[in-house]
Amino acid sequence: MVDSGGPVVGDTVLAGTSGIRAPAEVFNSIFVVFLGLGTLVGVVVISYTLYNAYKYRYREDEDPAPELERPELGELPESGGKGKKLFLSFGISALIVLSLVIWTYASLLYVEGAPTEAQQNGVDVLDIEVDGFRFGWQFTYPNGAQTSELRVPANRMVNLSVTSQDVFHNFGIPELRVKSDAIPGQTTNTWFVAEETGTYTANCYEICGEGHSGMDAKVHVMEPEAFQEWYANTEGETNGTHEGNESAGGEDHALSGPDEPAAPGALAPARAGGAP
Amino acid sequence: MTQLKLYSAIFVVLMALSTTQALVERTGFVDFDAPDTYWMAFGIILVLSFVKAVFVATYYMHLRWEPRSVTYLMLGGLFVALALTTAAAYSIL
Amino acid sequence: MSHGEADGHDAGGHDFPPMSSVKRWFITTNHKDIGILYTITALFFLVLGGVLALLMRVQLWGPGESILSAGAYNQAVSAHGLLMVFWFISPFAFGFANYIIPLQIGADDLAFPRLNAMSYWAYLFSGLLFIISFFQGGTFDGGWTMYAPLNVPTYMPNVGGTTVVLALIMFIAAVTMGSVNFLTTMYRMRAEGLRMRDLPMFSMSILLTVWMMLFAFAALLAALLILGAEHLLGVSYFTADGGTLLWTHLFWFFGHPEVYIVFFPALGIMAECFQTFTGHRIVGRKWFVLAMVLVALQSFVVWMHHMFLTGINLEIKTLFMVTTIGISLPFDLMVFSLIYTMIKGRIRFTTPFLFSLGALILFIIGGITGVFLGAVVLDYEFRGTYWVVAHFHYVMVGGATGLFAGIYYWFPKMTGRMYDEYLGKLHFGLYFVGFNLLYFPMFGAWETPRRVFDYALPLGTWHKVATVGGFLLGASFLVMFYNLFKSMAVGEEVGDNPWEYSTTAEWAVSSPPPLENFEGKPSYADGTLSFRDEPQLTADGSGDGGPGGSASTDGGIASGASETSSGHRSDGGLRTESATAGSGSALVTGPEAVTPTPTGTVAVHEEDEHADHASFWPFVVCFAGFLTFLGVSGIQNGGAYPWLAGTGGVLSAVGFVGLAREPFYVPEPTMAEQWPFAGVENMKLGMWMFLGSDVVLFGGFIGSYLFLRVANGWMHWHHAFIPEDHVVLPGLINTYLLLASSFAVVIALVAAHKNSSRGVVASLSLTWLLGVGFLVNKGLEWQHLFHVSTEAFPNGWNVGTNVASSTFYLTTGLHGAHVIVGLIMLMYMIPRAMKGAYLGDDETSIEYFGLYWHFVDIVWLFLFPLFYIL
Repeated sequence: MVDSGGPVVGDTVLAGTSGIRAPAEVFNSIFVVFLGLGTLVGVVVISYTLYNAYKYRYREDEDPAPELERPELGELPESGGKGKKLFLSFGISALIVLSLVIWTYASLLYVEGAPTEAQQNGVDVLDIEVDGFRFGWQFTYPNGAQTSELRVPANRMVNLSVTSQDVFHNFGIPELRVKSDAIPGQTTNTWFVAEETGTYTANCYEICGEGHSGMDAKVHVMEPEAFQEWYANTEGETNGTHEGNESAGGEDHALSGPDEPAAPGALAPARAGGAP
Repeated sequence: MTQLKLYSAIFVVLMALSTTQALVERTGFVDFDAPDTYWMAFGIILVLSFVKAVFVATYYMHLRWEPRSVTYLMLGGLFVALALTTAAAYSIL
Repeated sequence: MSHGEADGHDAGGHDFPPMSSVKRWFITTNHKDIGILYTITALFFLVLGGVLALLMRVQLWGPGESILSAGAYNQAVSAHGLLMVFWFISPFAFGFANYIIPLQIGADDLAFPRLNAMSYWAYLFSGLLFIISFFQGGTFDGGWTMYAPLNVPTYMPNVGGTTVVLALIMFIAAVTMGSVNFLTTMYRMRAEGLRMRDLPMFSMSILLTVWMMLFAFAALLAALLILGAEHLLGVSYFTADGGTLLWTHLFWFFGHPEVYIVFFPALGIMAECFQTFTGHRIVGRKWFVLAMVLVALQSFVVWMHHMFLTGINLEIKTLFMVTTIGISLPFDLMVFSLIYTMIKGRIRFTTPFLFSLGALILFIIGGITGVFLGAVVLDYEFRGTYWVVAHFHYVMVGGATGLFAGIYYWFPKMTGRMYDEYLGKLHFGLYFVGFNLLYFPMFGAWETPRRVFDYALPLGTWHKVATVGGFLLGASFLVMFYNLFKSMAVGEEVGDNPWEYSTTAEWAVSSPPPLENFEGKPSYADGTLSFRDEPQLTADGSGDGGPGGSASTDGGIASGASETSSGHRSDGGLRTESATAGSGSALVTGPEAVTPTPTGTVAVHEEDEHADHASFWPFVVCFAGFLTFLGVSGIQNGGAYPWLAGTGGVLSAVGFVGLAREPFYVPEPTMAEQWPFAGVENMKLGMWMFLGSDVVLFGGFIGSYLFLRVANGWMHWHHAFIPEDHVVLPGLINTYLLLASSFAVVIALVAAHKNSSRGVVASLSLTWLLGVGFLVNKGLEWQHLFHVSTEAFPNGWNVGTNVASSTFYLTTGLHGAHVIVGLIMLMYMIPRAMKGAYLGDDETSIEYFGLYWHFVDIVWLFLFPLFYIL
């Protein structure tokens, strides 16, 4: 399988000005096809089922197949025949499922390979570390700035390295179709491109304790210029609410960005909300 | 009485193989800084364990004289355990 | 399951109380009674889980709506999932399995009736433990998937969380006892002429279900024992590097087969109902069966599709994507098979058929939405959302729909009265509409995060509709309960067979069936079911022994029949095998043909000897287990807990001794189809089945160790985590000791064969001494390691010191516990051997003990290099 670049996959729509096909687009285009085909297959199969159920309903005076031997008490099991038809329908359904999934496999390779590809092509990528804790999120930028709300520029590839300080979380921004498990002791990577500016919400998708339902974070997609301006002001400082450093922990959480500040102990996670 | 002789011979073999395993360790092959010899020793020692296990199961547990399906049952369990172990370990390599 | 047995057979069974007596329900070991107990208990848990679900639906009426606190909501979510998956669906199916399987295969009862009763009581008491957990500072609140490390005491300090772990362990004990029992029964006690491939669809589905249970639940047991040790002993697996992922592997390795464990019985019932109510045989039956077998096998190699976002590598994701798609295909075939079965049928829309048809439709929807999840790119986004919730409810509750078909289908058989058809249809109507109103909107609201009561405002309408549907679904069960209660009292009485086109043997006996199921011996030898005058099950001293003799007598008829019915190719082969079985047991038992009971005793029975159906001990043992677990759950808190645990422990001992000493007679089947386990007595096969699951249990432990070692750096492990004092020698000595003890058991068997009482006593005692030596040596070694004082380990190398010490102590500790169990068995056997037991034909007890002991030995053969050398 060729490690295909973005625009090769599926219908070749280029996203915004970044030139990178966003995972959201990949998802949406596949989802639509699945939804269409799924509905079609479902309607056809269920209608056919109900049609037969109705057609062969019991009628006192009418036997649709008088020649057919009906099951009798105490017989050893036998087949009702018609294996051929069975295999035909089985073959068709298998074909649909297989081709659908093989088709999406190319997209999987694209989604998995895009960050490396982008790096090789010198695309400007923003790397952000996402750190989940009970019950909030902390975002660390390449310059060491830390926030409790995620701010990203529109139309730029954003790489997220996601981990957790305590239990299993899952970081997801539904509108941007980005999601990744946040697992203590390891880092998982995902990426996205936001095309429209605006404010979105990130949620936790893995039950993590009492505050799970309220473990949100605001996501601001900004105009690139506005982002640059904001970003420049964060240089070297942490931006967010400080509430002591009791939960920073001393473990190796792979918080190893290029510009990691000297003292990890001083990185107080921005506590947001807590239990609702 | 031949039965008893067979069992005794197997017992001697089992003891000898266990001693061999420990001897392999004494030779210094199990060296965590030398992957080549380490993995060779690893292979030898585990193969010896398998051989011993097969002897015990085949003769002491009489698998040899049971219907083959009993052996398949145990192999099924073993397969399940190995599938879990290898695939899980591979997934994080 | 003990292997010893008192000698007499005079007591028990003859004063079996009637069904109206409360006493009967505590002492019964009859499969039909236990089936009823299972069904009723499971329905109780359905109501409990359902009420929790309705509480959640009320909470979800609007975003952030609050009748439950955040913590209570998490508890409701978790308890709902655990109760429905474990304590409702499978036990509900096993209510039918208990009642129907022996009837369908032509057996008088299950192979081990007392074990069956134990299984039920363990199930019931594990459920009670779960209920108690709510009142121990809150129950488990980490979701039914119990992800680590939220499941460890640091994040879940409530006693209730520990209790749920113990309740699950007890539940698995029940499941394992049931699996072993059903497998032995179905392989060894089928009616003459009923080959494995001839099993009715429901029996077939249960057979595959119990196979999956046997292995899958063992993996979960490994996970839960480790989790229990995290709570009670302070080991650290799941908080170590890689620990989080380890849990997901162990859990889903169980969790995916569990989906089919839940669904298969329903599939079996659907197939039976389709055939019976369409009056048309299942189309492509053998392909249907083959598809089920394929699914059962593949179910063990798809688990990582639950973990696509956990950072596992792309190769393994691809592999598991392929296997996942692969497993969906056999289901396509089964669905089409059921659809085509309707063609040319004469379909009667009775309540059971409506539920079966409904289940099929729901399953089609569940299957299609599952394909979405099979595409990894889509799965990335669906992970943790209501899409998943909706999908698996369509599959699992769709499966439960098939089980409700079962309760209407067999209600007349179980009660002798017909349910009310109008109310049944009303139930179906409300159920089906309620179901779809409840779960279909969840696809619309799929962006809602799972297990969250706060969601985006635009999704509100979907959730409101779902809540309405939930209450409708709940209300439909009021109709069902009313119907069943009313019909039990005043329903129209039915004869043997109320359905025109049913085929299976349970419809050939009265409704409800007599205590011992069949008058006459059921046989399919001439191609259809017939009942023969029972040749006495008891032994006849004459030459070639009962089994071989009758088989050859019937041989003529059988071979005649095999010509008329096509495809019965192996009839002849089977006949040969049962003849071999006869001669085989003659070899074992010597000149006097006798019947070994499942508990290992051999006795010659009187002609009028009847099987026993009553024992109080299963209840006692499980009640004792309940007290023990309850005590252990909070033992760190002191108070009444240690007393409870102590009382439970003592009562357990009393119970097991009582169980072992109680005379309990169950006839070994004669003239039964036993392929492919002919010649392996029931008790021996049961032992092998149990060992099969034990392989997976130890596999889970060893696999966990290897996984954590890989996660922490294989070569790095020793330098970083293990003190210099951890040397090879104690392990080597213990290897010698165990091997020698195994040899001693073999000698005991030889001595028994030679009728040497002294030889048996001496060699069993030697085994015991060597086993004790093993434990003493281990104790010394552990003491030493606990107290090492080096630069790296100034405070000793304890259970909780690091990940290596945790895996070492827990894995070898589990093995040590197996050794202790073996020693306790020996302490029961040696005094009996002194009185002259186990000689000659009675040697089987030593053989069965030997199987266990050698197995424990084999495990050590792998633990030794893995934990001491490499």
